[in-house]
Amino acid sequence: MTTTVEVLGFARGPDWLPWAVQYFFLIGVSCAAFFLSLPGLVWRLPSWRTLSRLALLAALISGLTAPVALMADLHQPGRFINFYLHPNFGSWMAWGSFFIPLYVGSLLLYAWLCLRPTLLRLAQRAGRLAVVYQRVSYGGHDNRQAIGLAALAASLGAMLLLLYTGMETMVVSARVLWNSPLVPLLFLSTACVGGLGMTLLVAALAGRRDVAPALNRGLALALAATFILLAAWFAGALSGQASAAAKALTALALSRVWATTGVWFLGTAAFTLWLAVRSPQSLWSTALLALHGAWLLRWIVFIGGQSIPRMGSTWFDYSLGIGPDGLLGIAGSLGLALFLYVVLTGLIPWDERAEA
Amino acid sequence: MTCPPDPGRRAFLSAIPVLTAGIAAPARAADTRSPHWGMLVDTRRCIACQACTMACAMENATPEGAFRTVVATYAVTTAEGATGLSIVPRLCNHCEKPPCVEVCPVGATFKREDGAVLVDGDRCVGCAYCVQACPYDARFVNHETGKADKCTFCSHRVEAGLLPACVETCVGGARIFGDLHNPESEISKRLKEAGNAVSVLKPEANTRPNVFYIGLDAALAGRVDGVSAADMMWRPDHQGG
Repeated sequence: MTTTVEVLGFARGPDWLPWAVQYFFLIGVSCAAFFLSLPGLVWRLPSWRTLSRLALLAALISGLTAPVALMADLHQPGRFINFYLHPNFGSWMAWGSFFIPLYVGSLLLYAWLCLRPTLLRLAQRAGRLAVVYQRVSYGGHDNRQAIGLAALAASLGAMLLLLYTGMETMVVSARVLWNSPLVPLLFLSTACVGGLGMTLLVAALAGRRDVAPALNRGLALALAATFILLAAWFAGALSGQASAAAKALTALALSRVWATTGVWFLGTAAFTLWLAVRSPQSLWSTALLALHGAWLLRWIVFIGGQSIPRMGSTWFDYSLGIGPDGLLGIAGSLGLALFLYVVLTGLIPWDERAEA
Repeated sequence: MTCPPDPGRRAFLSAIPVLTAGIAAPARAADTRSPHWGMLVDTRRCIACQACTMACAMENATPEGAFRTVVATYAVTTAEGATGLSIVPRLCNHCEKPPCVEVCPVGATFKREDGAVLVDGDRCVGCAYCVQACPYDARFVNHETGKADKCTFCSHRVEAGLLPACVETCVGGARIFGDLHNPESEISKRLKEAGNAVSVLKPEANTRPNVFYIGLDAALAGRVDGVSAADMMWRPDHQGG
């Protein structure tokens, strides 16, 4: 048997940094949370009213943070203008640059239309911001038709975003872990996990345990779908039917770091599923575990996927730095999400009990 | 007091550009077809001295720790226990079907008529999608410019009638650069002569590279199942860069 030792070569570090993980995580969370807002706010199902308002808050927080994380990955954010001056429509990323403003713009419009009556009620209370609320409410009408149209545009944007983020990753045949038709579906199912997790978190912060059973039920379904997709990926890899997946699995299994991370992901996801089924009243624990799972899958796909050598034998030994391209970037984007949560909940009562 | 210029000498000097243009014009008129640049790497002649790696880094002022070309070196031990050195000089393959061009969201990466795959630095947004798409690990984001960087076949030198720096400096003459369209070029002759002995990196990627190899060990033409002497290697994250 021939053995080979690479005595001189070099490994390139990942060029999609934790910023990219943050973007793919937050935009997926936002899209999924937005869809949870539809039953209560568009179709006006009474049992969904509270849950949908909280989901809208979750969608806004993550949807407004995500593009910032993406622009930070461009090294010079002003460069984004070239996406619109010179689009190459043969690239999924180019399409994404149009889907993002479509979604974020229509999400903001939809949120504003939904909140106009609330803003008017706030204006009617005497306060320092009464004039501002009055102006922003713009009459305070509850225009169901306009809400429906804005929701339709945001739904289209969200579906296109979920499609492009998956496809953009899947088409890269040079990365064996990415090059699987199951990747877009896994991003979709884990976006649902993350969206439900973020809504659970917002509900936990608002103390609304009454919405927990419905959200945990959805979380269990999303996790079950994720496990089915993962089982299909493993089956394809182990049988050799999916050659890229087989190569990726072989490579990752030989890496102690990534094999451990993968086992940790599977273990915590299974525990989250068990908890969501066994303890439907859970808020904080399932919220944090769901967000952890959705984020970790993207971390494994992007950072792990870039660590597998394409040429030669040298792995890139990634370690998370504390600078802007590492921990500070992750903390910064989560800090922005926290800031948005504080501002939005400080200005607008999202919990109907508080509004009353 | 300075002497007035000799009218005869002035007439002679002013006529030089006309003469030069006159000599060059027929040559250009005869060669109407644009060149299609390619490179042949004869690994049998490579001694892994890394002179090409250094020449490229000097010529193109790549940041410390980032290389447009490198000679990957392997110690291969056969079943009989004999150990030998195998090398794979690597650079951008200037593919006929470059995946990097397809994915670039702003069209900053393009394939020129002469075959070179280049990056328009003014347009590049530094998104690194091309870096992900390259099956050969030939691209990187230059951390000084924040933009995609790669081998250009030393286009600036070729346009001036010079050879790429790595070719110019190669001690063993292992790198042959030339016009693939011209049957009389050294590279065309050598490719024809080598016949089936010519191979490319990762042929399964279907990118149709314009960098060809003679004497390439097929087991080293892509991802290599082996161990890396990581501690002995250049690691930009460990050693700076």
